[in-house]
Amino acid sequence: MSDDPIADLITKCAAQDRVAFRMLYRDSSAKLMGVLLRILGERAEAEDALQEVYTRVWTRAGRFDAAKGRGMTWLIAISRNLAIDRLRIRPQATSDDGLDTVQDTAPRAETRLIAEGEARRMADCFATLEPDRAAAVRGAYLSGLSYVDLAARHAVPLNTMRTWLRRSLLRLRECLDT
Amino acid sequence: MTDAPLTPEDAEDTLAAEYVLGVLGMADRGAVELRIRREPVFADRVTAWEARLSGLNDGFEAAPAPNLMRKIEARLFPVPTREKANWFGWLAGVGLGAVLLLGVMVSLPPPQTEMVATLAAKDTGLVYEARHRGDVITITRVSGTAAPAGKVHQLWVIAPGAAPVPLGLLQDQPLILSYPVPPKGWVLAVSVEPAGGSTTGAPTGPVILTAEIGAASI
Repeated sequence: MSDDPIADLITKCAAQDRVAFRMLYRDSSAKLMGVLLRILGERAEAEDALQEVYTRVWTRAGRFDAAKGRGMTWLIAISRNLAIDRLRIRPQATSDDGLDTVQDTAPRAETRLIAEGEARRMADCFATLEPDRAAAVRGAYLSGLSYVDLAARHAVPLNTMRTWLRRSLLRLRECLDT
Repeated sequence: MTDAPLTPEDAEDTLAAEYVLGVLGMADRGAVELRIRREPVFADRVTAWEARLSGLNDGFEAAPAPNLMRKIEARLFPVPTREKANWFGWLAGVGLGAVLLLGVMVSLPPPQTEMVATLAAKDTGLVYEARHRGDVITITRVSGTAAPAGKVHQLWVIAPGAAPVPLGLLQDQPLILSYPVPPKGWVLAVSVEPAGGSTTGAPTGPVILTAEIGAASI
């Protein structure tokens, strides 16, 4: 047992423990549903994706390494990757829906970031970025925006957006790793 | 703004970050995923970025999720046919000369407990019965004798195509497990292990009993 009960459950899933699998669903599905709903925007698709997420969780549990990260981080990474893959294969028109979501909810997300002590450092590091670049990083992470989406949203050429984001990521790395 | 070239190190790391952030297009994502599978160092970069950016996860608000567990389990644990060969292969690997494939009971109309499986050996008269009530399984020796001194019978469950998972030690008292009834096609097995049970997490001694679950009854 560790201080990460989600990680413990994932480890048990790797040992084919189906009781642990059910407990993991009970304890994590609301959060992952929130991730999928935020990125995909549609409940029916999010529910379908949720089934796929837990299918992957069970089959990939053996690859989870508790020494390298927290259980919930791993689960959310699987969920985000699945949702983003689904977004990328959608016809282009739909991806604009995601853009609107960002504007509506980004301030709320930011407030939460600052409010919750766990993410304080994250918020401090984001504060070192120029506001529109911080918004681009957040929009990509939380809403699954692509480089193409971001360039359109911020009305800059694609290459400029790439440069912005790469520099921002390196600055975040520097800030978060110290 | 200027775009001075990144160092190779930074270029690698930003690619991992771009993947985690999710800004790449489908083709680039596919290429990165291939590298994650093949290059442990690169995979570690991705994991590190997942951890770095995890502070943003608080931005995802939880949403009510329906209970989809039944559908998920139906996807993951279908009735196997071809995969059966895998555990037969495993049993052979353990060096079992004569595997007795035994009569397996399916759930009967509910009295108090329902039969999950009967593990019986014709030659030694050893019989264990596994019965369940809800998510509790009780395994009782109904005939035959316990393992000889210094040894113990250990119970295992084997999902199709998966390695055996230890469930517990079978002694004179019934073994009571908080465990769901394994679906059809899963196998219960008993091996003979040193007292205290296998220390490796896998069977080390001969497998003396096996029974395949006959029907899903979860």
